[in-house]
Amino acid sequence: MKELFQYTELVKNLTIKEFKLRYRNSVLGFFWSLLNPLAMMVILTLVFSTLLRAGIRNFPVFLLPALLAWRFFSTSTSMSLSSIIGNSPLVTKIYFPRWLLVLSSDLANLIGSSLEFIALFPLLVFLGMKITYLALLLPVILILEFMLIIGVSLILAPLNVYYRDFNQIWDITLQIGFFLCPIIYGISLIPEGYTLAYSLNPMTRVVESIRKILYYNTLPTVADFAVILASGLLLLLVGFLVFRKLEPRFAEEI
Amino acid sequence: MHVIQVEDLWKRFKIPHERRTTILENIAGALQILEGKRFTYEEFWALKAVNFTIDYGESIGVVGENGSGKSTLLKIIANILRPNRGRVKTTGKIAPILELGVGFHPELTVKENALIYGSIMGLKNSEVKSRMNSILEFSSLERFRDAKLKNLSSGMQMRLGFSVAIETDPDIFVIDEALAVGDMEFQQKCLNEFKKFKAEKKTIILVSHALNLVKEFCEKTLFLSRGEMINFGETETVVDEYVRRVRGS
Repeated sequence: MKELFQYTELVKNLTIKEFKLRYRNSVLGFFWSLLNPLAMMVILTLVFSTLLRAGIRNFPVFLLPALLAWRFFSTSTSMSLSSIIGNSPLVTKIYFPRWLLVLSSDLANLIGSSLEFIALFPLLVFLGMKITYLALLLPVILILEFMLIIGVSLILAPLNVYYRDFNQIWDITLQIGFFLCPIIYGISLIPEGYTLAYSLNPMTRVVESIRKILYYNTLPTVADFAVILASGLLLLLVGFLVFRKLEPRFAEEI
Repeated sequence: MHVIQVEDLWKRFKIPHERRTTILENIAGALQILEGKRFTYEEFWALKAVNFTIDYGESIGVVGENGSGKSTLLKIIANILRPNRGRVKTTGKIAPILELGVGFHPELTVKENALIYGSIMGLKNSEVKSRMNSILEFSSLERFRDAKLKNLSSGMQMRLGFSVAIETDPDIFVIDEALAVGDMEFQQKCLNEFKKFKAEKKTIILVSHALNLVKEFCEKTLFLSRGEMINFGETETVVDEYVRRVRGS
């Protein structure tokens, strides 16, 4: 934490660097990143409302906020996975606290996802939703999700230095995770016996909370917040321990 | 007053006979161990029981054959590698210039790299920006300020590294063979800077095979061979011993 204070300027510069590098090679830049969820929305809406007739009212609005919340998690974690090896010219040449690389990668995604959510609002209105004061809770939920993301990133990034195929494993894990979270379906579809185990997944809670405030217009429950916060703190703790253990040999293993 | 204290420093590298960098390879390797094959690796001590101190205002040279542990020592002093045993205590800000470049990102421009490097060294962006002109001037890279680093030649990268590093006001300079790729004009500029540092009582640690450079700038010299400290003392004596050894063997 002291390091964070000492290196604020560095964190700022690294975050800007990440952000620039991501969008630099295309003129449309940020708009490309919007295209991906929009395309997903169109396809999934076609599949679920026209072909499968799942009968979910206003499916695009049901889907899109949940999709963006999941995207925030999946893109952040898979990008920060390579944040150490991707910066090997820095890591092997000069000292600074290495976890700041992970933090900056995640921060760049926090900015990116926030912009995506901002772009979402006009679309939601266009699709016939009323935005209520509940939307003010969105930043709170995103910050809580950000805690989960940093915790997971701090575990993944150092492991990827030692095991280079870790990104493949994480890709598969994310694919499974996509279907384990109530993104393209509602939580009501989960059979009775599984609901407890199912609702302990913090990403389920994140996706559900965001859907509650933007689609159902209800408040997330205290349990929602509690599960996300508790797992966030736990992941942060584990993340810092893993990172501290593996950090000293980064420059040799990279 | 000690600027750098190196106490009983040991560093080991493990060189596996088959390198495993993926989980799949590790699982395959573990299965082989079950079958009775051993996971073997070579142990290589890059540094063995190295001890020395550098006092305020001193500059030291480090000489030795390839693979004698010079670069490893510098990386440990710069806190990039961690020793297996022993420790290094340093006072002041260290600017390492190791094997070309100081920690730059190839995809970023000259200016962007200068900002990041500056902030690693604890400078505010505004401070770096106000020194940008003198950085570009010193490195003669004005024309390339918006070029990506990967498009610069290795000599240009090194010039930029050196120019940025001197603008961050370090107390200790750790230089590993960096000057070799610069052209004559730039080398001369660097030597003038070195003279200024020395006048300001800053510390320089210089790894170099250019023995006349070491003789000119360093009061003391450390002679390493196969990770062991052969001698540490007055430059003339130590360098002469190094030359004698090389000729003798």
